Amino acid sequence: MLMPMDGVRVVDLTRFTAGPFCTRILSDYGADVIKIEEPGAGDPARRMPPFHKDDPGLEKSGVFLFLNTNKRSVTLNLRTEDGKSILKELVKGADILVENFSPGVMDGLGLTYDVLSEINPKLVMTSISNFGQWGPYRDWQATDLTLYGMGGNMSGSGDPELEPLKTTGRMTSYHVGYASALATAIALVNADLSGEGELIDASAFEIMLQSIDSRMQRLLGFQYNDKVPERLGAAGQMGLGSGTLPCLDGHFMLTGGPVMFPNIARMIDAEYLLEMPEWNTVAARSRPEAAEEFEALLIPWTLERTKEQIQAKCMEFSVLGGPMNTIEDLVNDERFDERGYWQTIDHPETGPVKYPGYHFRFHTGDGEAMPERRPAPLLGQHTSEILIELGRTPEDISGLRAQGTI
Amino acid sequence: MTTNGREPRSKLPLDGIRVLDITVVWAGPYSTMQLGDWGAEVIRVESTKYFAATTRGQMARPPKEVVEAQARAGGMGYPDNEAGERPWNRSAVFNAHGRNKRSVTIDLTSPEGQEAFERLIAASDGLIENNVPISMEKWGVTYERLSKINPRLIMVRMPAFGLAGPYKNYRTWGNHMEALSGHPLIRAYPNLSPEYAAGGVPADAAGGVGAAFAFTLGLRYRRRTGKGLMIEAPTAENFVPLLGEYVMDYTMNGRVRTQVGNEHWTNAPHNSYRCQGEDRWITVGVWNEEQWRSLCGLMRQENLVEDPRFIDMASRFENRHELDSTIGEWTGTRQPHWLVERLQAAGVPSGVVMNERDALEDRHLHERGFWHSLDHPEAGNYRHVGPAWKASQTPNDTPRRHAPLLGQDNEYVYKTVLGYTDDEYRDLEEKGQIGMDFAPEVP
Repeated sequence: MLMPMDGVRVVDLTRFTAGPFCTRILSDYGADVIKIEEPGAGDPARRMPPFHKDDPGLEKSGVFLFLNTNKRSVTLNLRTEDGKSILKELVKGADILVENFSPGVMDGLGLTYDVLSEINPKLVMTSISNFGQWGPYRDWQATDLTLYGMGGNMSGSGDPELEPLKTTGRMTSYHVGYASALATAIALVNADLSGEGELIDASAFEIMLQSIDSRMQRLLGFQYNDKVPERLGAAGQMGLGSGTLPCLDGHFMLTGGPVMFPNIARMIDAEYLLEMPEWNTVAARSRPEAAEEFEALLIPWTLERTKEQIQAKCMEFSVLGGPMNTIEDLVNDERFDERGYWQTIDHPETGPVKYPGYHFRFHTGDGEAMPERRPAPLLGQHTSEILIELGRTPEDISGLRAQGTI
Repeated sequence: MTTNGREPRSKLPLDGIRVLDITVVWAGPYSTMQLGDWGAEVIRVESTKYFAATTRGQMARPPKEVVEAQARAGGMGYPDNEAGERPWNRSAVFNAHGRNKRSVTIDLTSPEGQEAFERLIAASDGLIENNVPISMEKWGVTYERLSKINPRLIMVRMPAFGLAGPYKNYRTWGNHMEALSGHPLIRAYPNLSPEYAAGGVPADAAGGVGAAFAFTLGLRYRRRTGKGLMIEAPTAENFVPLLGEYVMDYTMNGRVRTQVGNEHWTNAPHNSYRCQGEDRWITVGVWNEEQWRSLCGLMRQENLVEDPRFIDMASRFENRHELDSTIGEWTGTRQPHWLVERLQAAGVPSGVVMNERDALEDRHLHERGFWHSLDHPEAGNYRHVGPAWKASQTPNDTPRRHAPLLGQDNEYVYKTVLGYTDDEYRDLEEKGQIGMDFAPEVP
């Protein structure tokens, strides 16, 4: 299948999580991503848990493995003149460069956009950082926790009596990487037409503030009423018939609310409520006591049923709901996988392992399936291959290796 | 911040690209917002006879109880808690994600509506929708049909679970598909019932970004092949990679992690801590010894550095609950901004858990020109978030246009784009096809 990024070359200077997520998704759709790693150490994500069979090793990090499929790895010491000149050669033949060093590091290496765009005027360079390339917080330290707390809707997440909750794991970084991939793709379309690239300043803080994950709308809603909105707990903002409710084999998340109430009443065989004055209008159902009164009917109903049974009822009655699954439940849900979502990727150090599949699929009318993905590269696996593509001789390569440049 | 003395571009990158938008709730509208932010002409195709719940508010004409409940929740409230004469033009969430877009009313259930829709498809580059597939089929919005009208059409479809299979017509929001994908159970508080789990919709955010990215790739595909295509972007499949390491831990190691809350895989301290004031919190997450020593120094508890319970990262992680109490005692009597300024000056990763007021008053965002004021004729003048990133050659003062009133661009679409005559236009107005109000029978 012709992929939209076929023929696009990406010089990938990213490390950790946000940047590699960005370049991974470019590679999913056809880009040739050349991942530059520090000789010996490699991407720090290679040392992030979980590890295959809990055995730490540079080729065994689950984070690294899933973030770097399809890429080619080159080791290159950017602090040496030879390293820089190889990088510049790569930039000359590239369309995109992505980096997520701390702001100022690229400048310190003499690899500013001004310098690189002299070499290649159509280069799109995407710089991903916590707070942007300039501004008072430029050099602040941050993790996923800091960034969701400042940029995301952490202040609105969790129980009102308890501490605010972040989203899970490295999700904020991944989202930032995803938005940076969008920024890069739009700039590439622009460069395709104009022959001129540009520098993207992708700030995680700002990307999260612009998010529809209950942030941008609450920022406007706050101004509408000059009141900081509440932290909402599991019931979310809909109330009445909403929440994470116990059931026979775990918990189930339901969303009701006064407007959508009739479907949920029908689902639990309580249609008779809709005839009663306490329940027959949206206003009546908005009574403060309504949620608790309805729970007295709803929870006994959920407690008698399994997650799967409630899910089937939700689908039948058009009620918004989902089982509180574990990852194990998800991976083993045959209905979710009926269209073939998961991909088994064989890596020399781990053997075949199941990975999350494509974010989206193309239907081009020629009936071809999406291609299989290659495993994440071993550290420096493609160093010689790429230097040979640049026209270096085996003697040059041995020399560079002896100096520790590669 | 243009570079190498080049002139900034006078046009946005997606200028001249017309995208039809049949999106509802949050994920879909967020995808077309991204495209509109960067210059695409996004036209929302709406109907005066059908109110898509949770898009322009909960109801077309909400009673005051619903208005007040929405205000407490924040993102779906109305200015000054008043629904106003045309509430559908005053909902916060719609006026946030509706920016830069146009609105046309077309009733897809009528033959006249179908004709207008076909003419509009022929005049457009793309269509993005995120409805339950059964609804789209009912209205004839399928790639099979539309690609015959316009073979260059790029159609992005983002149902919850896909266009085939047992979950095809499973109707969910982001939070329910996240529940099925495992996120809220992992995210839930440790040692408390999952009934206390947090709601949240990062899947909607990722879905919107993903569909916009998919569309942009579609433009590139079309330029190379001359042909359009259909992209299937189920929001659940799009979201699962954001749980990547939890999936890998299960598929590599058989481990099932739940109820992690704010805890890190290996690092401590790593949590939110209560501060002085009403519901004020900061986060602190330490990843090396230097940061830990700086934190102890700021707390004036240098003795902790030598304390065997906290002597290294593994010990701190083991004793993280005690550590959280110690830090909480220190933060509890101090103000969040005071704490964070000092923590950051000492190199400790930390931040205020910013509520909406904090964000709007933030000095860094102010200096970077992040906020843009925008007037809306039926809601008023407020500040909006800027575009999600800055591009050196492409100045972007988005939002350029306020979220469209229902049917605001009917004249433009019917007459200018599609060439309807004044008589034809009036006729459709009389039939209720063209209008700026929901029909009286719409609740």
